[in-house]
Amino acid sequence: MDLLLAAAQVALAPAALVAVLAGCLLGVVFGAIPGLTFTVAMALVVPMSFSMETAPAIGLLLGTYIGGMTGGSVSAILLGIPGTPSAAATVLDGYQLTRRGKASLALGTAVVASAFGGIVSLIIMVVSVDMVARLALRFGPAETFGLLVFGLSTICGLAQKSLIKGLIAGVLGLMVMTIGIDEMEGAQRLTFGTVVLQQGVSLLVAMIALFAVPHVIDAFVQHYAGERKPQEVADVRAELPSIRDILRDFWLMLRCALLGTGIGAIPGTGGPIAAFLAYAHARKSSKRPERFGKGEMAGVVAPETANNAVTGGAMIPLLSLGIPGDPATAILLSGLLIHGLIPGPMLFIQNPGEIYQIYLAIIVAYVAVVAIQLLGIRFFVQVLRVPAHLLAVAVIVMCAYGAFAIRNSVFDVVSVAVLGGMAYGLMRVGIPLTPIILGLVLGPAIERDFRTAMILSEGDPSVFVASVPGAVFLGLAALVVGAQLLRSIRATLSARRTEEKRRASVTPSE
Amino acid sequence: MPPVSEAAERRQELIAGGLLLVLALAWTAAVWLTVPVGQGVGPRAFPFWLGVALAVLSALLLLKGLRGGHGLDPPGEGEGSAAAPPVSAGRRLALVATVCGIIAAYGLLMQKIGFLPATVLTVSATLVVALGERRPLVVGGMAIGIALGAWLAFGKLLGAYMPRGTWISLF
Repeated sequence: MDLLLAAAQVALAPAALVAVLAGCLLGVVFGAIPGLTFTVAMALVVPMSFSMETAPAIGLLLGTYIGGMTGGSVSAILLGIPGTPSAAATVLDGYQLTRRGKASLALGTAVVASAFGGIVSLIIMVVSVDMVARLALRFGPAETFGLLVFGLSTICGLAQKSLIKGLIAGVLGLMVMTIGIDEMEGAQRLTFGTVVLQQGVSLLVAMIALFAVPHVIDAFVQHYAGERKPQEVADVRAELPSIRDILRDFWLMLRCALLGTGIGAIPGTGGPIAAFLAYAHARKSSKRPERFGKGEMAGVVAPETANNAVTGGAMIPLLSLGIPGDPATAILLSGLLIHGLIPGPMLFIQNPGEIYQIYLAIIVAYVAVVAIQLLGIRFFVQVLRVPAHLLAVAVIVMCAYGAFAIRNSVFDVVSVAVLGGMAYGLMRVGIPLTPIILGLVLGPAIERDFRTAMILSEGDPSVFVASVPGAVFLGLAALVVGAQLLRSIRATLSARRTEEKRRASVTPSE
Repeated sequence: MPPVSEAAERRQELIAGGLLLVLALAWTAAVWLTVPVGQGVGPRAFPFWLGVALAVLSALLLLKGLRGGHGLDPPGEGEGSAAAPPVSAGRRLALVATVCGIIAAYGLLMQKIGFLPATVLTVSATLVVALGERRPLVVGGMAIGIALGAWLAFGKLLGAYMPRGTWISLF
């Protein structure tokens, strides 16, 4: 209790509150602008949090994350364009409601559903992180290695279109992270004798390059491809739904919140999947499924509850195990690292106060988001009128200065430019960027735990399957990759069969 | 988003597989030549085997592109590539170079002449030259607005260090 009060004093201090509010505002605006996601906002905000105290820095980042998750629904409802991928399911009924003149109510309901989903998932998270962390405390390096490999395999395997491309991306991320001085033996690895490469590629530089720069390039390309005219946004405000409306959908919201939390806790899944599953569930369990897609409020409630519940779910493996499940939590992790907070089981022993600050910041963020959406929506929707390429110019400035601010080095700015160009290239040839960032984040720990385990076992590799958790994690990793492999082989075979059938049916007629 | 045609996807795989294979081989060779073996699982093991893994995976991708079959790709939704608007490859490459060039040049300029002048210069040059914006009010407003806004928010509010300029220092 003392810890909670002490944390409240820090987390509710004016500077921290302002930081959360600023983060939420930034998140909502970036989330609302189609093409700019809150991941971009977070990558740009992390370097800024350098010079801040721990509590405001955490608040700023969490605010951006949570604000961004709710902001995506604004353009989904008003324009029919999801501001972030997580809001794609909200478009289905949200935009129909706008066309029926119920935009204000849809926005208000979305905000309430978002806050509900977020708070429910927070409660589940608070209850479960401690247990998971306690379990994980017993893990030695061999078990941790297995766990990290499992986390990485779900990210490379589950969420991506192609297993090969997902794995390539994961390996690329791991490779980049080996550049620099080897932390165990002090050997120089691929530094080519330069000093700048000795500390390796900065995680923050990589994040800005991977997430912000490709967006800027895309906006420039779109500009030349024939200007997308900014959409007309009507004057709107957010109108709170009545208590009766909320109570009517209460059980649906609760179910979707649980669903979102569960999905969020699995690394490599995240908001879009949770939102679509929740939408499908809402339609299936509805008494009038025929009204879905034509402007049914439950079709907004379900995905918005679920995608915000993902935030709490994703925090479970992040805080208790140190495994981020998506780019946003990976960036959050790097932001925590800057301030000396190392997510993982030890965090609960070393920094219990900061854990409470994180919980409080999340609550404050949801209050702030509701306030911003209710009071400020008519002002910030004006941003939607600014053409994308002009916004891109502002993002360029933030990319470059953000990279500079990390360690006041122009080398980092140039690195962002070069890596950003490469990231765009990878994106163009269909290599997903998410596994890269998770390879970057998890890479050093995977190598360290593997080598430590090998030293402890005196070079006997059986140590990795000697304990039950280690064997289970590596087995699960093999299962994830194996199942994916099987699925794709089956898909190939069936595609070939239909091809043959088609040919067989075409030939006789010729 | 228009669906990526199968032929385009094959071409993508050929390009990605080929380039990544070259990268993987160069990386593996560089690791083998420059990183000491060390004791047990030393500093060389991880970068080396990762390089080998990338080589194998990119070779698979290359093969898949060459064979033109469905290979190991399950159909289904994923992150997907960006929407492909009718912009020629050369134009696209030029735009990539432009954006990266702007960022790098801006970084250097920031250090040489200070944050405010560098930002005003970069923003206005980007708008006029790269984006073909001609309205003076938009160019001037954006340049000064972004520069001042960023300077106030980062430098004054957050107290971050703003580069002052080594050639000339106005602020």
